[in-house]
Order: sequence, then structure tokens, then C-alpha cells
Amino acid sequence: MSEAEIWQIEEDEGLITQAYPRRMAKRELKDGIIEVERLSKHYPPDLKAVDEISFTIKRGQIFSLLGPNGAGKTTAVEILEGLREPTSGSARIFGVDISHDYDKIRKRVGILPQNFEPFEMLRPLEALEYWAHLFNMKKSNKELLELIESVGLGGKKDAMGGKMSGGEKRKLGIAMSLINDPELLFLDEPTTGLDPKARRDLWALIQGIKKRGATVVLTTHYLDEAEKLSDDVAIMNKGRVIARGTPDQLIEQYGKETYIVLVGVGQTAVEELAKRGITSHRENGNVVVPVSNPRELRTMFAKLSSIQVEFKDMYTRRQTLEDVFLNLVGQKMDEGVLRA
Amino acid sequence: MSITRILAEVKSYGKQYMRNKSAAFFSFAFPVLMILIFGAMFGSGGISKMTIQVQNLDDGQYSQAILDLMNKTTLVNIKMISPETNLTDYIKENSLDVAIQFPADFSGEISQGMSNTSALAAKVVLYGDPSQSTFGTVASVVGQVVVQLNYNMAHARPLAEMEVRHVASANYSMMDYFLPGVIGITVMTNAMYSMTAVCATQKSKGYSKMLATTLLRKDEWLVSKFIFYTVLLTTSLLLTYFVGSLVFEMHSSITLLTIVLIAAGAFVFTSMGMLLGTVIKDAESANAVAGAIGFPMMFLSGAFFPLEAAPAWLQAISKGIPLTYFNDALRDTMVFANNASALTNLAIVGVIGVVVFVLASRLMSWKE
Repeated sequence: MSEAEIWQIEEDEGLITQAYPRRMAKRELKDGIIEVERLSKHYPPDLKAVDEISFTIKRGQIFSLLGPNGAGKTTAVEILEGLREPTSGSARIFGVDISHDYDKIRKRVGILPQNFEPFEMLRPLEALEYWAHLFNMKKSNKELLELIESVGLGGKKDAMGGKMSGGEKRKLGIAMSLINDPELLFLDEPTTGLDPKARRDLWALIQGIKKRGATVVLTTHYLDEAEKLSDDVAIMNKGRVIARGTPDQLIEQYGKETYIVLVGVGQTAVEELAKRGITSHRENGNVVVPVSNPRELRTMFAKLSSIQVEFKDMYTRRQTLEDVFLNLVGQKMDEGVLRA
Repeated sequence: MSITRILAEVKSYGKQYMRNKSAAFFSFAFPVLMILIFGAMFGSGGISKMTIQVQNLDDGQYSQAILDLMNKTTLVNIKMISPETNLTDYIKENSLDVAIQFPADFSGEISQGMSNTSALAAKVVLYGDPSQSTFGTVASVVGQVVVQLNYNMAHARPLAEMEVRHVASANYSMMDYFLPGVIGITVMTNAMYSMTAVCATQKSKGYSKMLATTLLRKDEWLVSKFIFYTVLLTTSLLLTYFVGSLVFEMHSSITLLTIVLIAAGAFVFTSMGMLLGTVIKDAESANAVAGAIGFPMMFLSGAFFPLEAAPAWLQAISKGIPLTYFNDALRDTMVFANNASALTNLAIVGVIGVVVFVLASRLMSWKE
């Protein structure tokens, strides 16, 4: 989104006020809405849950903290949510030191905690009305129903929180975190444990929130989720940020190869290619040929076309964040767990 | 403090509470059931007829005279055991707390005693377990009957007697004395048990963390719970009193001070529940921990059993329990109309409440 578009949205929604003038918003757009400096959280005797991490998050972006379980993502984000005290280092949100003055910014921040559970005996409308009052806000039923519709819970507005599915619960959690129209939204593993459809629904919802001008801080252990949603990614492992950039930058910097995929060929193709000095391997019923330099793709296509191998289709696949993670950490990540 | 946030918390919690059937049961049906059950048990003055098993090995007139006198007390039903039965075996087989035996020649020994002043008194023998309350009651009845028999045979009459008068009013029934205890227990169990469980659930479900992300403050949350339980328990009190009055013709009164006391009770016991909640990790152990504190309080407060006869150390513990002062204050104002004493007890409840409230709000953490 362009800077001009952001200003327009902010002015339309009344976010630019005397208390929060445009010059302040401009500074945040330039320098960052969140500034984290050598932030650490240690637990006795010697656990460094977060170990001197530093980063800046710019306004209007989706920033993802990506890493396996135990990497320190939630600890880091809970410090930024004002739920934990850091051992050392500092963090500023909207220019405010969060260790001392969190109450000044609480109303501008929305939070979906990890493993969110809705109130079992409240319906969505009741839960949202209650939550609005806790932010000193009075919302009309119409406004609340619109919010319920916007997160895709229109058909469940009369269901008790305890009777909802996992995906519906998270949607309600997101609706609650949006009740105060936050400029900054923290979503701590919002799609963990959900089925693929529910995950895709939530992705669309998160992209919609970004379009409304909010900055989103997302923690996730799903590499595809980070790649799909994020403008900016910090990969965390063992309490430290080990890589940082846009998904494209990370893939360019840490991804080693591009692949040519030959669809519908068998082991004989691998052997045939080997005879011509071309390395390949089988993957999901296809044959994959790695190309270390994208500039060599044209040459490789020419070579493959000259070989007498029958294939149904051929396409290129660049490396993903999954490959980047494997290259950086040396292990694959499955549902947040590192595997050899 | 924000009234909007406090009222929103009261409203939301109230909805969730009343939708929980077991919570609603314990708030309204439980105290009414207690009044009805105890009323049925003790409604006729607190004494019911008990059955005493008697083995009479004597054929004489005096054992029969004692049995006749016992029957006249209207306190006991007498059931005879065959003289051929081994009494100790019979007692064990039937798990009897007490049984009476008139030895062979009981009447002969009495006759001998009337003519020979140096002869030993004839004995009515009580078998059983002195630790059981039934044993004590039967011993008292038999003792009085034997004394009466002695008077009759000596053609004497008592020169001093006991007369029982109710302290508050002759119209007051057993249930009037019992009601404050029921209210005390209801207030304690509802406020303390449910707050312990609420705090544990808040932690395990992550509600505390969620609340910490809003503008609601901990003291506002605590105050909202205090308000909710005051309203809930006052309603429960009025319902219990209404049913009790309707069924048992109670005459104790609900004064303004009673309502103030309910508020003070809600304050001290919700605070205690929150304090317990700070040390509990999960909802499953909440009831066990609350029970471990609540049950001893229930019995040691003298809500149902007077503690005057209890050992000194037990009475000392009783003096450290807020429920003791809460029950005493309720009894003071509802039965004895002694508001001065009720206010003193209310002050003690209030001081304990403030101390526990401050401790709970300091120790309770919604964050890390």
C-alpha cells in the first residue's frame, strides 16, 4: 500500500487527530511503529528465551516472527504486548517505552493471544459488546454485527463460544482484538491446529485487516503462512533472530537453487539424466532438477528438451521459505517441531 | 476506577454464571434445600423419637416401672430383646450405639435395698459406644427415669426444677436459629468456592491474559465480583427466607444490617477465593483446595454445632475464622436483634476482608 493510500484511510477513519498528528504517523511510517533494541528475556538458571533481538516494524506492514516451538516468538511478542517484563533491552511502540507507559498505548493495540479460547457461555455479540466496554467504547448492535460479519461469523452469531469450532473461535478472537479499531494488531499463532480451509479463511481475514491500514505482527511456525502473508519476516531460533527480510529477499539470500520439475516421469528419467551428467531426484512422483543459478535455466531447458524423456508437463519452482529455513537451521520444521 | 468497565464485567460474568446450571443450583436451590431438609429434621423442636433396645432379665415390678416411665417421656420407642439372646453379640451384629439391660433379680435387689440400708443399689446397665451422641441421650433419659423412680419409691418430690425459656422470643422456632448458619454457609461456599474456580479457570484458559490486554484493571475486576456476589447472595437470602417463612413459620427478621452483612461476607469470601486462586494452577484442583479450607471453616465456625464444649485450642482456631464472626453477626441481628454486637462482628469481618483483598490484589497476576 502506498503512503498516500495509508493517509487517506487514516483520515477517513479519523485516526489522524490532534493527539496523533500526521507528523507522528509520518515518523512511524519512516522509522517504524515498533522499535526493538537488544531485547532479552532470561529465566533462571540459564534459559535465554529471547536473546538480544533487535528489529524495527514499519507501519502498515504484516511482520512475521517465524520459528519453531520454543524459538522465543511468543515470549518476544508478549513483551511487546505488555504481558511480560524484559530482562534487558528496550522496546518502543508508537514512540512510547513499553516498560513504563504501556497504558498510554493500550487502546491503540489489539491482541489475539496464543491458544485463544472464547468465553464459553457468551455469544459473539455479547462477547464483543462486553469487550468494547472494557475499552470504554460503546458500539451499536449494527456495528457489532458488521464486525461479526467481517470476520465470517455471520452464521454463528447465536452460537455459544464453547460450542464453536477451532476456526470459528479464532475468528471470534480476531473480532475481539479488532473491537478497539487498533492501529497495531498482534496475532500469536492464529492458525495453529486449524484445518487448511480455516487457515485460508484466516489468511484472507488478516490480509483484509492490513488493507484497512493496520500494522500486523504475526507469530507463526507455518513457513507457507509467513511467505504468503508477510511483508517482512524475522526468522527466530533459540531466542535469536537468525535472518531478516522480505520473503523474496530471504529466498534470494538464503535459497540456493531453483528447480525444474518434470511431471509424470519415473526413475528411468533420473537414470537417463544422470547419463548426461544432470543431477536430479524424485519428489512426489515427479523428477526434480536443481539449477544453482537462475541464469542457467535457459541452457538447462534446452538440454532437457533434447533428451528422449516423455513427460506430461515441465515447470520451474523457485525455493520457498521452507528451503530457506532448512538451509539456515539444518532441520525441517513440521507443526512447529524441528525434525532431522 | 471506571464504572462502565465494572458494570460490563458484572453483566458479562452474571450472564455466564447464570447460564451455568450447577452454579445457579448452588446459589438458589441449595440453601432452600438445606432449610427444607433441616427444617423437616428439626422442625418439631429439634427432638425426634429414638428407639432403644432393652433386654429385661428381671421379672419384677421395678424394671417394668422404669420401662413404663421411659415410655411416658414420649422421647423413646422401646424394643425388647429376648432374654435368651447374648446381648454383646447382638449389639455387634446389629451395630447398635446403645442397649439397656435389666439384670436378673433387678427388682429383688431393689426390694432388698428398701429393707436393708447397707445393701448396694440395683444397677440398670447401659451397653454401647459412649462416643456416639445416641448413647449420651439414652444415658440422660435413663438417668432421669431412675431418679424419678427413686423419688417415687421414697415418696419424695423435687424441690428445684429446670424451666426452659427461649432467649429471643417464645415465638422463635429452631429454624430461626438455624437460618443464619445456612446463610453463612451459602455465602461462604458460593463466593469462595466459585471465585477459587474462576481464578483457576482464568489462568488455564488464558482469560487473565486476555483481560490484561484491555483497559480493565485488576481492582476493577475484583470490585465487579464483589458487586455480583452481593446481589446474587442477597437474592438467594431473600428466597431462602421466603421459603423458610412460608413452610416453617420463621420469625427471625431480615434487617438492613443483614444486607450489609451479606455484602461484607461477599467481600471477604470472594477475596479469600481470589487469594486461593493465586496459588492454584488448574481448575481441577480448585474445588479440592477450596474444600480443604471451606469444610474446616464450616464446622469450626459454629454454624451448625455450638463450640462451647469443644477443646480450648479448637475454640481458639474458631476465633481466627471469618465465618465465625459472620455467623455470629447474622445471628445477632436476625435472631437477637442485638445490632451493637452485630456491628462489632461486622467490623471484624470487614477488617479481615480488607487484609485479604489487599493480599489477593497484590498476589494476583494476569501477566507473566
